[in-house]
Amino acid sequence: MTTLDQKPSRAEGRKDPWSQLLEKVGKNQDRQAYHALFEHFAPQIKYYAMANGMSSHAEELVQEVFVSIWRRSCLYDWRKAAASTWIFTIARNQRIDMLRKMQRTSAEMQVETEDLWQIPGENEDEPVTSLHRLMSERRVRESLRHLPEEQTTVIAKVYMEHKSHQMVADELQIPLGTVKSRVRLALNKLKVILQDQNV
Amino acid sequence: MTRHHPDSLMLMEYSAGNLSEPHALCIRLHLDKCGHCRSRVDSLESLGAVMMEQQSQVAVEASTFDSILARIDSEPAPETVTPRVHRSPLSKLLGDDLDGLPWKRQLKDVSVLDITDRFPGQQDRVVLQKLCAGGKAPAHTHRGEETTVVLQGAFSDNKGVFNQWDFVMLGQEDEHKPVALEGEDCITLSVLSAPLKLTGTFGRLLNPFMR
Repeated sequence: MTTLDQKPSRAEGRKDPWSQLLEKVGKNQDRQAYHALFEHFAPQIKYYAMANGMSSHAEELVQEVFVSIWRRSCLYDWRKAAASTWIFTIARNQRIDMLRKMQRTSAEMQVETEDLWQIPGENEDEPVTSLHRLMSERRVRESLRHLPEEQTTVIAKVYMEHKSHQMVADELQIPLGTVKSRVRLALNKLKVILQDQNV
Repeated sequence: MTRHHPDSLMLMEYSAGNLSEPHALCIRLHLDKCGHCRSRVDSLESLGAVMMEQQSQVAVEASTFDSILARIDSEPAPETVTPRVHRSPLSKLLGDDLDGLPWKRQLKDVSVLDITDRFPGQQDRVVLQKLCAGGKAPAHTHRGEETTVVLQGAFSDNKGVFNQWDFVMLGQEDEHKPVALEGEDCITLSVLSAPLKLTGTFGRLLNPFMR
């Protein structure tokens, strides 16, 4: 955190309020900050659990996610991800982990959930990508406002209901190609697609 | 430096947590060595976060926060949690000596090892393939979607050269005739999407280099 300490005013300006709270939890085990994060994110996570068919385990998922947030908060670095993105990945990983544990014994869990789903390099110092990471969330939030509803509907089903592109096509009764082109159009506008091949 | 990447749709399914474990493993191994795809996944995870924020919200039970506090009070303080020592999921799964695995030789130049049983509770078929240095696999087409990541060495076909950690997706229409580059055996990890209605075809030995 040396950069942060050296240039507090400039650095603070780029930090959103949730990232500031999460940092307080990580640095000082600040329970007030933790509670504020809970008030804001717990209802989102509960909806997330219910949308993907885990209604009977929704409260359990909220608990797992928040215990994990507490435990991992000391690793949080606001320069690498906004708090909401960081918390989304924890919710996603905890959901996968819960489903895996329901389906198999621990002896069968040779590879841990995080081995598969955590982006490598999280704990490394990558100043170049970190700026990119911070920018990306703002850009995504901004561009999402301008997407046509038919595109956001498809994206919501993929992220919130965990439906594959094929399942979305079946549900909306449109061809798979249409789903894919809607997603591609959206990702293009969100600048996620730079070039798909031979970059 | 990898040159063949997963497409954005597949990275999206990865960031949403929707891929099967073997497919996620292929992506994860590629991400390990590809900063370009890591930043694409970063953006996609931000997309997930923003989607979550923009959906409805459901009130949690009044007692939930207290239960969470009770749990964290009974656990060690967060500063005792240290970052994990990085060990590749591949070596967790297969050890560090790929050449020493119990390969089954199928043809002069081709050996295979089916590791589907390492991924219980899913339907994809997962196969390691080894094409010996300079070796040739016969021309073949594919049934269904096949996702491959190069673990060691390199091979070439009509679409180009595929080096270590390159990502390859082949569909039904693709016919190719892979040749391993000289100098090192080429080892790949392939995931064959299970066709939902054709479970019977999995009774026989499938070799993704060969089909």
